[in-house]
Amino acid sequence: MKEGLRLAELGEIPFDEKEILRYAMLPSFAPAPEELPMKESLEAAKGAVQCRAVWCRFPLKREGNELDLGFARTTSQGLKRHLEGCDEIILFACTAGAEMDRRITRAKLQSPAKGLLMHAIGAQQVEGGCDRLCRQLAEQFPDKQLTDRYSPGYGDLPLEMQRDVMTALDCGRTVGITLTDSLLMTPSKSVTAIIGMKERKPE
Amino acid sequence: MKVKELLQKGPFFLDGGMGTLLQARGLKPGEAPERWGMSHADVITDIQRTYYEAGSDMVLSNTFGVHPLRYDLAECEEMVRTAINCADQARKSIGDGKERFIALDIGPCGKLLKPLGNLDFEEAVQGFAEVVRLGVKYGADCVFIETMNDGAEARAALLAAKENSDLPVLVSCAYGADGKLMTGGTPESVVAMLEGLGADAVGVNCSLGPDALAPIVERYLAAASIPVLMKPNAGLPQEKDGKTFYNVGPEEFSAQIVPLIEKGLRIIGGCCGTTPDFIRAVKKASADIVPPAVEKKEKTIIASRGHIIELGRDPVIIGERINPTGKKRLRKALEEGDMAYVLNEAIVQEEHGAEVLDVNVGTPGVDEPALLEQAVQELQAVTDLPLQLDTSDPEAMRRALRVYNGKALINSVNGKQEVMDAIFPLVQKYGGAVVALTLDEDGIPGTAEGRLAIAEKILKEAAKYGISPKDILFDTLTMTVSTDGNAAKVTLDALKMIREKTGCGTVLGVSNVSFGLPVREVLGSIFLTLALERGLSAAIMNPLSERMMGAMISFRTLTGRDENCAAYIKYAGDLPTMQAVTPTAGAAGGAKETEAKGLRRAVVKGLCKEAANLTRTALEEGRDSLDLVKEEIIPALDEVGQGFEAKKIFLPQLMMSAEAAEAAVAEIKKKAGNRDEQASKGIVVLATVKGDIHDIGKNIVKLLLENYGFTVADLGKDVPPETVLEAVERLHAPICGLSALMTTTVPAMAETVKLVHEKAPWCKVMVGGAVLTEEYAREIGADGYGKDAMASVRLAERYMQEQA
Repeated sequence: MKEGLRLAELGEIPFDEKEILRYAMLPSFAPAPEELPMKESLEAAKGAVQCRAVWCRFPLKREGNELDLGFARTTSQGLKRHLEGCDEIILFACTAGAEMDRRITRAKLQSPAKGLLMHAIGAQQVEGGCDRLCRQLAEQFPDKQLTDRYSPGYGDLPLEMQRDVMTALDCGRTVGITLTDSLLMTPSKSVTAIIGMKERKPE
Repeated sequence: MKVKELLQKGPFFLDGGMGTLLQARGLKPGEAPERWGMSHADVITDIQRTYYEAGSDMVLSNTFGVHPLRYDLAECEEMVRTAINCADQARKSIGDGKERFIALDIGPCGKLLKPLGNLDFEEAVQGFAEVVRLGVKYGADCVFIETMNDGAEARAALLAAKENSDLPVLVSCAYGADGKLMTGGTPESVVAMLEGLGADAVGVNCSLGPDALAPIVERYLAAASIPVLMKPNAGLPQEKDGKTFYNVGPEEFSAQIVPLIEKGLRIIGGCCGTTPDFIRAVKKASADIVPPAVEKKEKTIIASRGHIIELGRDPVIIGERINPTGKKRLRKALEEGDMAYVLNEAIVQEEHGAEVLDVNVGTPGVDEPALLEQAVQELQAVTDLPLQLDTSDPEAMRRALRVYNGKALINSVNGKQEVMDAIFPLVQKYGGAVVALTLDEDGIPGTAEGRLAIAEKILKEAAKYGISPKDILFDTLTMTVSTDGNAAKVTLDALKMIREKTGCGTVLGVSNVSFGLPVREVLGSIFLTLALERGLSAAIMNPLSERMMGAMISFRTLTGRDENCAAYIKYAGDLPTMQAVTPTAGAAGGAKETEAKGLRRAVVKGLCKEAANLTRTALEEGRDSLDLVKEEIIPALDEVGQGFEAKKIFLPQLMMSAEAAEAAVAEIKKKAGNRDEQASKGIVVLATVKGDIHDIGKNIVKLLLENYGFTVADLGKDVPPETVLEAVERLHAPICGLSALMTTTVPAMAETVKLVHEKAPWCKVMVGGAVLTEEYAREIGADGYGKDAMASVRLAERYMQEQA
């Protein structure tokens, strides 16, 4: 494995029905339809997800209008604001794995509602994986303050940066994420993001 | 001695890690070693010499990342030329006369193949083929395919190597701690597949240390009839003072590997974190060990991506339902290219206990080779059951075998010379177990002895191609007992005789025996029992038939194959639900009016079963079906749709209502039977554009359009502009709907809109998807923008009104 890359053990992410419904675009105040195949979908998703993540620390430098992220350069103003005061970043990639994609495809054939739920379950799982990774990182760097996640494609940060992310984290080899020509990640339930780090100021 | 013989003999030593050593000599993180190597040939040569000196019989060229998807061809050539030259300089520099070898190293291409990714299989093969040809040109002795974490990609690379060189090919995969490849392959499924395709050695590398990989290597040794290799990491990476190091040293590494050599591991090297010292240590510790000879395994194995089935031990159920013979609905689906129907047949059979699926798509008027290839690829995306490829067209068989990810069951060959000449070369090249029918130029012999004679002839011919008897299963041909009272007896006698005399496995399509007779399943199930008793290895049958399944499961229970009768008890427990449940409509007995109200309410609430039951009751009571649609279902959908637009009803609720409406309409269609279905409002061609694989939005639009009476031709996702145009022209569709989720795929959408407008000016194009806006849609020339599924339905209705 390339120098500086770290793999994270994320373990099993518990299903969270509330979150799943939110990813299925049901607002928290609305009742779930009586026959929504939630139980069936959770059953179908069981054992499908194996969250894997890889991450790497990079020094952050500012040169005029440009950010030097250590693995790529950008003029994104959104990211610049997000990383205000940071002198380092953590770049990570996390995926729910290929089997979940397969089960989503299968569910879509059985019923559109089940397909929607399976998508939502995949999203909840990979986001849950990201949350767990961020908690682990916060524990690992107790004297640092970590920002929220910021991903290529958000705001004015170009999606094209995904190519640099894949190279920097050797994603194909480390966690099995690859890009299509149109910059989509496969497996589809995958997330890449940048987290800023700064010294924790004594209160 | 030739490399091939040395590999068979063992222990044979490969090199160790390269990355760490190169970084110590100036390679920067993120720099590609193959490119760096072109300007640092001396460093590469130097490191490779140290490996040869440490005892490596073969080193890998510095070409891991060389692939036309990463570099242009001229640069690929320069990289391969330089890299092989470096290794050659290294071996020449030693000069002790000992024979040493160079392997062309091939790593993953960096893109995921279909169906999970979007790299086309043939494109992957062609890319690897370029690299292989360069390796041959510059004098490599071997091809080493390594660190593959997707079985389909390993397959593509191996096929490319076999088609473009005569060199021995070693294939090594990277497993996770769970013993699986990232796309789900297991040691057994991978071995079955790669052996079938003619790999000279198989094994594992990278990802873990020798102790963690040992159980996987042992599974390889138990499954493979060819030499097994291992190239593990120096344990696991750890961090200290910001530096990465691996936690296993040369002595420990060697101590973990030596016991595996004693068990038959014969090709050994190291991966990440290992150095020449590691190779030296293993070589020294294993100096006196001769690994036991490579043992030919005699099991009949077929495999899918991540799953094997052994034939000849417990009887296997092959689902027969994907075969259009005598099935009108399936035939129609195949003619219309409605693959979803075929895929559903697969899922239903799997859920009812099928272990292998027969796939036959031959019906007049379709391009069978293209359709079988497509069916195989799409089926493998939704089911991990091994497939039985069923066609009499050798070209269709060739194309299906080429893309089949695993080791297929091939149905079929027979004793006709012409057929053997066409099919056996395919088995030889692509691997597979083949079903052989006991008939030849003179027809089907009327005696068991006659059928045995054909079986023996077939085995002899197969041997010429190196196809082992273990990969041949005989079908002694089930004939209908109604036309010949002795037919079943001869089939059964032949089955027993062939099983005993040849030792080969057997297959029968059992359903045919009862053709033309009443209560067919009784006869069929007894025939199955008799065949099983005579050693039938696999039955091609209908897993949805209670009685046939009852016979199969009972046989297993009665022959000591069903611990605690668990399978039988489960079968019995499922029985009541398998029988048709009589409708228990809540409003039964009430006035028509209340039922109707009930139906509207059921659709609004998204209650599928209730909607179906109420519809059935209403129809039975004489309610007009068009009436039900117009007065109940559509108003219900409108109510939900308006609620959705007003943000009072949300996506999951909308979808459940749509499903309830669909359940109600299904009842109406069932009742209408083959009579004219209600007139369609019009055809809509739907597609997610090229490059985009997000189709959930498109699927919701499809469901709603169908609810509202449109006929939808769903082309799926990642659809090229030409395919959209072809469908619009063929169906003369008045409306086309396109979806795209990503900014990067909007250009493909613009291109599709333009093409359809240019060549099919009658067609209105509506677009939708997360990144689009009204303005954006106008900018790319679309006729309309559907901000959500309901808006798309409204647009479609407007277009139809305008055209009326």
